[in-house]
Amino acid sequence: MLTGIQFDSLSEFFAMGGYAFNVWSVYALFAIFLVANLALPLRRRKLILRGQKRRLTVRGADAERAGKHGDKAGWEVSLAAEGAGEEQ
Amino acid sequence: MAGRWQWFHRLGSPKWFYEKTTRWLPWLIGVMALLLAVGIVWALLFLPPDYQQGHTSRILVVHVAVAGASLSFFPLMAVAGTVTLVWRIKLADMVAKNAAPLGAWFTFLTLATGSIWGSVSWGTWWEWTDSRLVSMLFQFFLLLGVISLRTAIESAETAARACALLSIVGCINVVIIKYSVAWWNTLHQPPSPISMEVGSPNGPEFWVATAIMIVGVYLFLAVSLILATRNEILERENKAQWVRELALRSR
Amino acid sequence: MIRASVGAAFRATLKRDLLISVKRRNDILNPFMFFIIVVTLFPIGISPESAMLRQLAAGVVWISVLLASMLAMDSLYRSDYEDGSLEQLLLSSQPLYLLVFAKNIAHWLVSGLPVILVSPLLAYMLSLPADGYLTLVASLLLGTPVVGMLGSIAVALTVGLGSRGLILAVITVPMSVPVLIFGTLAVQNSLAGGSPLGYLALLGAMLAAAVSLAPVATAAALRITLN
Repeated sequence: MLTGIQFDSLSEFFAMGGYAFNVWSVYALFAIFLVANLALPLRRRKLILRGQKRRLTVRGADAERAGKHGDKAGWEVSLAAEGAGEEQ
Repeated sequence: MAGRWQWFHRLGSPKWFYEKTTRWLPWLIGVMALLLAVGIVWALLFLPPDYQQGHTSRILVVHVAVAGASLSFFPLMAVAGTVTLVWRIKLADMVAKNAAPLGAWFTFLTLATGSIWGSVSWGTWWEWTDSRLVSMLFQFFLLLGVISLRTAIESAETAARACALLSIVGCINVVIIKYSVAWWNTLHQPPSPISMEVGSPNGPEFWVATAIMIVGVYLFLAVSLILATRNEILERENKAQWVRELALRSR
Repeated sequence: MIRASVGAAFRATLKRDLLISVKRRNDILNPFMFFIIVVTLFPIGISPESAMLRQLAAGVVWISVLLASMLAMDSLYRSDYEDGSLEQLLLSSQPLYLLVFAKNIAHWLVSGLPVILVSPLLAYMLSLPADGYLTLVASLLLGTPVVGMLGSIAVALTVGLGSRGLILAVITVPMSVPVLIFGTLAVQNSLAGGSPLGYLALLGAMLAAAVSLAPVATAAALRITLN
């Protein structure tokens, strides 16, 4: 079934029997498609989490500066304040 | 009643989905990467050139796998839409919302690879007599319709239910379009039967490589859909305690 | 409250919509004029030679009908949405399926039927051979209600949206492709001397499927978008 590598030299491999443009453009599109559809969601996830963290810590820092909550860290305050009444 | 359906609603819980996929994703990505690597190397290096099509048969391995996966989007969206309409499970809509653009990308890649292959096989980049590509084009339009309906409706709840209904109607229509376009064009090349015989045009050296690629591409579909759905969960559930804790633990 | 019979509600909706259409003549006239104008563009844009035109005639008429029905769709449900009577429809005790169906019939009678009636004249101007007229009109009679009812789903999904023209077209055009295929195949087949009955039967099957399913989907869409 596996009949061995079909090309004798690297240049033959790149030439693809005269169909270099067709074969390589399909594989290039495929590669871009695979990488883009994995990299973009991962990058977006990072941005979402970063934005969320910034919002929470800034609010937490505000609460801390107000000095009402003694030894609790800022984000704990913000979590406790905003998590109240949540079902989960 | 409540007990019997508990598993179903737990399955629909975004938190449950997020935690489960956190555990599954490394495995899925690993198997996907392995299969895609084997499929691509096999198709590029080891696949014997076709006696008629020469090295362009290497294109078909990718094209067939991507085309097969693109056909699964409307059924997927229709099932997710039914779950959204009947049980109002949020997770189903999160999947459906991200499936539409991903499906449009898959369909576009199918059209692009098909016409690049066709430029050698038919001598032209677009051939109306190939009914499969023509019905793919109409599937592409319908997916764009679902996407633009989603962006046009402001209320997320209404958009979810409207897109769910359109996906169900669209799924029925894609089938009707497929058969009527094939009827319209009886000249089209029927799917070639696969063969067990080594050395025949559709022999095992072709279809085994294609089968590996098909499974790899389906896993890729699952992985990228899961990744997008997880982002959707993080955005929509941003008031939930567990999402906040996750965000604070992140770098 | 007096509970009216289903048939009476159906007739009342049909009559009301027809009366409103008569008052809003532009909504009827615009698609009709659009249809005639589009058809006249083809000989100018492609070729005035009758040998060329006779081959294109069926397709040109069918495509122009589809474009005109896209234009006509814009007025479907719009005034009902604006004056709030669409919401009254949802609150009605009568089955929404029948009320939607009545509205579809009324819309077809004022926007589809006039176009079909004038189509033989335009087909003549495009030098369609005499064998084709009956099939063309029959295929339009069976096909345009299907297009209208499919469009009705898309309209119901986008009711109340500001700029929905493109969405309507992107949703409805692919769905109308099977109708276009069998409509033109029927005419071409009868021009080639064959019987168009097979294709007309397929169009009839599509009409039956559309009558039984499309108003259900439209009713569901209205319940979603007007909730």
